[in-house]
Amino acid sequence: MGAVTYPDSRVAEFVVSRMIPVQLLFDAQPYAAQYNIKWTPTMIVLDPEGKEHHRIVGFLPPDEFVPGLLLGIAKVSFDRDDLEGALPDLERIISSYPRSAAAPEAMYLRGVVQYKTTHKAEPLKEAFEQLKRDYPSSEWAKRAMPYGLL
Amino acid sequence: MAEVKWTSDMSAALSLAKSEGKPILLDFFNPG
Repeated sequence: MGAVTYPDSRVAEFVVSRMIPVQLLFDAQPYAAQYNIKWTPTMIVLDPEGKEHHRIVGFLPPDEFVPGLLLGIAKVSFDRDDLEGALPDLERIISSYPRSAAAPEAMYLRGVVQYKTTHKAEPLKEAFEQLKRDYPSSEWAKRAMPYGLL
Repeated sequence: MAEVKWTSDMSAALSLAKSEGKPILLDFFNPG
């Protein structure tokens, strides 16, 4: 990560503008135990209270890492019931990084956010149809299968 | 050009995260 991904200008600009970066040795206590670190690199997205919302284990190149962080930030918003805050980051993953590993989960979560916002079932059904069309082999298409029956 | 400036001071990072309303990127690494 330190040789390839963090020096990348897209990654650096994203992290500087959107996050507070903390770097610790894999055995730095008490945090290695608190966050159950078993392998490196491990990157965790925390809310300002220190609560974990998203974890990436293993190297990711820049074009996967930025959408991975966006998903983590969106999960921070979602988990804290800030649905309006989550939606733009999910939309950005889907529109700007459609080939990333984060995109199917973002599409699923966007459907959930829209459902929770509107209290209508259509967004869930649309999420399933979009996942079936764009990411048919993803686990998120499978997780959304029940929404196809709505 | 932007450069990631890391801190290893978790307490300071949490305070900054609260004041700026930003999430934390916590990176555990092995220099070996």
